[in-house]
Amino acid sequence: VRALLLLLAAAFGLSGCQEKLTSPGECPELCPGGQPQVFDEVFGAIAGQDSSFSGYVQPQAAPALLVSNGLRGFEERAIMRFPPRSDSVTVRDTVRAYTVDSVAFGFSVVARDTAMTGLELLVYRLPPFIDTTTTYAQVDPAFAPENLILTVPVPDTVRTGTLRAVLQGSDLARVALTPADSGVLSVGVRLSAPQVTGIRLGASAAGTGGVFLTYATVDIPDTGTAKLRSFPLTATFNASLPAVPEVIDPSLLTVGGSPSSRSLIRFDLPPRIRDSATVIRATLELTPVSPISGLPNDPARIFARAVLADLGAKSPVETRIAGIDTLPAGTSGTVDIEVARLMQQLWLRTTGPTALILSLPQELEGGSFARPVFYSTAAADPAVRPRLHISYLLSFPFENP
Amino acid sequence: MRRFLPLLLLACLPGTALAQASQFGVRGLGFPGRGLATRAIATGGAFALFDQESSLNPAALGGVATLTSVFTMSEAFRSVTNPTGTASTRDIRFPQLMIVGPVRQTGAALGFSYSSYTDRDFTIASSGTIDLRGVPVGVVDSFSSRGGLSDLRAAGAYRIHDRWTFGAGFHVITGSNRLQSRRSFNDSSYVSSVQRAEVSYSGVGLSGGVIRQMGTRFAVAALGRWDGHLNVDRDSSRVGTVDLPFTFGLGIRWQPTAKLDLATQTILRTWSGANSDLLAQGGVGADNAWEVAVGAEYTPDLKRPFRRPLRLGARYGQLPFPLTQGIQPHEYGLSVGSGMRFAQQRGGIDLALEHVWRSDGTFSERGFILTFGISVRP
Repeated sequence: VRALLLLLAAAFGLSGCQEKLTSPGECPELCPGGQPQVFDEVFGAIAGQDSSFSGYVQPQAAPALLVSNGLRGFEERAIMRFPPRSDSVTVRDTVRAYTVDSVAFGFSVVARDTAMTGLELLVYRLPPFIDTTTTYAQVDPAFAPENLILTVPVPDTVRTGTLRAVLQGSDLARVALTPADSGVLSVGVRLSAPQVTGIRLGASAAGTGGVFLTYATVDIPDTGTAKLRSFPLTATFNASLPAVPEVIDPSLLTVGGSPSSRSLIRFDLPPRIRDSATVIRATLELTPVSPISGLPNDPARIFARAVLADLGAKSPVETRIAGIDTLPAGTSGTVDIEVARLMQQLWLRTTGPTALILSLPQELEGGSFARPVFYSTAAADPAVRPRLHISYLLSFPFENP
Repeated sequence: MRRFLPLLLLACLPGTALAQASQFGVRGLGFPGRGLATRAIATGGAFALFDQESSLNPAALGGVATLTSVFTMSEAFRSVTNPTGTASTRDIRFPQLMIVGPVRQTGAALGFSYSSYTDRDFTIASSGTIDLRGVPVGVVDSFSSRGGLSDLRAAGAYRIHDRWTFGAGFHVITGSNRLQSRRSFNDSSYVSSVQRAEVSYSGVGLSGGVIRQMGTRFAVAALGRWDGHLNVDRDSSRVGTVDLPFTFGLGIRWQPTAKLDLATQTILRTWSGANSDLLAQGGVGADNAWEVAVGAEYTPDLKRPFRRPLRLGARYGQLPFPLTQGIQPHEYGLSVGSGMRFAQQRGGIDLALEHVWRSDGTFSERGFILTFGISVRP
C-alpha cells in the first residue's frame, strides 16, 4: 500500500500539477465574441491652443556651451569669467607675493561632430566684467588677433573629454592680471575649422565648466627656500553668445534653442477613446518647417510629456513617462513620437488635461544645437498641423456567457 | 497510512485552480461536468445512479452504511485537432467532493457535495496578419477563460423495507468565468492589448430520485432534476438569464453472479431550453444531450470485495454546446479501473482510466483521463 501511494503521489506531483491549456484557435467556431478589431483614427490638436514658450533655461544656466563657426547660419561663441585670483599668498602667517611660472586652461568637450577634423578652439581675452547682459556685439571687438591668448587643437580622436593647454614664459603676459582687473580673467572661445561645424563645451551649470590653473613659486627669504603653489579657478559665469539672437515665431512650435523653448499642444479626445478604448499605438506626428537643425553625429532627443495641470507655460508635467524620439540633424521628414504608454497611464479613464509639452531632455535643454521648429495648428495646410494618430481597440464584445 | 494522505494532497496543490482545456468547452456554459466519483467513472458512468459516492442520484445516498468523505481528482492528457492545427493539452481538476453519512436508527442518510456542473477553462491562441496604418503586421491573439459552474448539493435519502429508496436534493449552482482577450503584435511599435471581463452565475435546482430493489440481484433507479434558470452577471451588472435543463435518468443494475455486477443507464438533459437564451446573448446555442453507458464490476475475491475489483465501462454522450450551429458534438469513452480499501476499510482509494474521443466532424480531440479518488470512513 505504501509503495502504491508513493507511486501515485509521485505521478500526480510530477506530471499532474502542470497544465497546458492552450489549443489552436479557429474562428469563428472557437472565438466567442469574435476577434479584436483595431481602429485607426487621427485627431488634430485644438486649433489655436498650441503655442511655444521660451526662457526655461537661460544661456548662463545651460548644461553646455555652444561654439560654432556658422553651424546654424551664424557664429556662436562661448564666454566665461573666472573668479578673482589673489596677487599674494599666505605662508607661515606672512602674506607674500608669488611669481607665476605657468598657467593652464582646461575645457571639457561634451560633444562634437566626429566626422569633422582639424578643429581648433581659439581663446581670446575679454574685458573682465562680463555677465548675463553681455551681448555678442559688445564683446565681438575683443575677438581680435591681439587678444588671442592661445589656440587649443581638438584632437581628431577626441569625442568627449578634456582639452588642456599651457602658457609659459613670455606668453604669460597675455593672461597677466592687474589690480585694474581686480584679478578677474574673462575669456571668449570661438571655433576654427575647415568646414562649418560646432562643438559643445562643458559649462559650470553642469559642473564641467572651463578651468584656469595658475602654477606659482613663493620665495621665502628668511628660510632661503621656495614653495610651489597652484591656484585652480573654475569659471563662475559662462554663456553662449549667438551672432543672431533667436526669435520665437508665434505661429510655429519651437523646441530647444538657447534660451530654451518648449511647446504646448492640447488635444480633445472623444469619450469613446478616453473611457472605453484600449490604445495600442499613439503617435504624435509633427511636421518640421525646415530640416532639423543640429550638430551632425550628435543627435538630440525630443520629449513629449503629459501635462498634469494645464497652467500654460508653467504647466507641471509628468516626468516618469514620456514619448521620446531622436532628432538627427538635417532630417526633414515627419517627426513621430510614440505616446501610447503615456496615454494609457495618464489620459485614459481619467479626467486630467490631454495636453503635451514638447521639450529637449534636461541634459540638453539650452545646451544643444538642435532647435526643431514645427508647424502649428495655425498652418494653412491641415496635413502639416500637429496630430495624434491613434490605433485602438474598443471594448471586446465578450459573449454572455 | 494517514501520513501519506497529506502527501498526496500536497503533491497536487499547485494545480488547484485549474481545470478543463477541452475545445468543446469554449462555447455556451462550458464543458459539462458529470458529478461522478471514481468508481462510477471506471464503469463508464453506468453505476452512477446507484453510487452513493456520486452526486447524480440523491436516492443513492440510502446505500451508505457509515460516514464517508470522498475526494476526487482527475488529470487529462488530450490531443486537440481542428482546422488550424493540432495541440496537446493537459489539465488537472477536482471534480467531486462529498461527505455523506447515515442518520442513525432512522433509515435515512444525508449528504453534502460539491461537483463540477460545467468547466470553462481554456486558452485559444491564433496568429495572423492584419493591415495597420498601411503596413502588414503580424498579430497573436489569445482568448482565455478560467472558471466554470459548481454544483453544491445538500441531499437526503430514505429507505423503506430495503426495497425502495427515495432521495431528494437541493442544488445551488454558482460560479464565474474570468475572461481575457489578448492581442500582441510582432511590431514593437504596438503595445499588446489585454481586455478582461468577469461573468458570474447563480441559480438553484432540485433533484429527486428513486431506487427500487427487485430481489437481491436486480435494481432500477430513476432520476429527475430541475435546475431552474441561471442569472448571469457581467462585471456585476445583470446581463441576462439562461434556462438550465431538466435531467431525466434511468438505470438498471443486474448481478448475474455473485462476482459480476452489470449496469446500464441513460440520461437526458434538456439543454435546448437554454438555446434561445444563449443565442440572444451572442452564443451559438444549445441542444439536448443524451448519454448512454454500460458497465461491469468484477469482484475476484468475495471475502474481500473491496480488494482490487475490476471495473469496465463504455459510454456515448452528446455534448450540449455546439461549436458550429446545427452540428452537435459527441463523445465516446472506454474506461477501466479498480480500487482498494485499507486500515480496516476506513480508507480507500479508487483509480479509473478513461479513453475518450470527441468530435463534431471538423473539430475533434482524443485523450486519456486518469481519475483518482480517496475515501475516508472515520
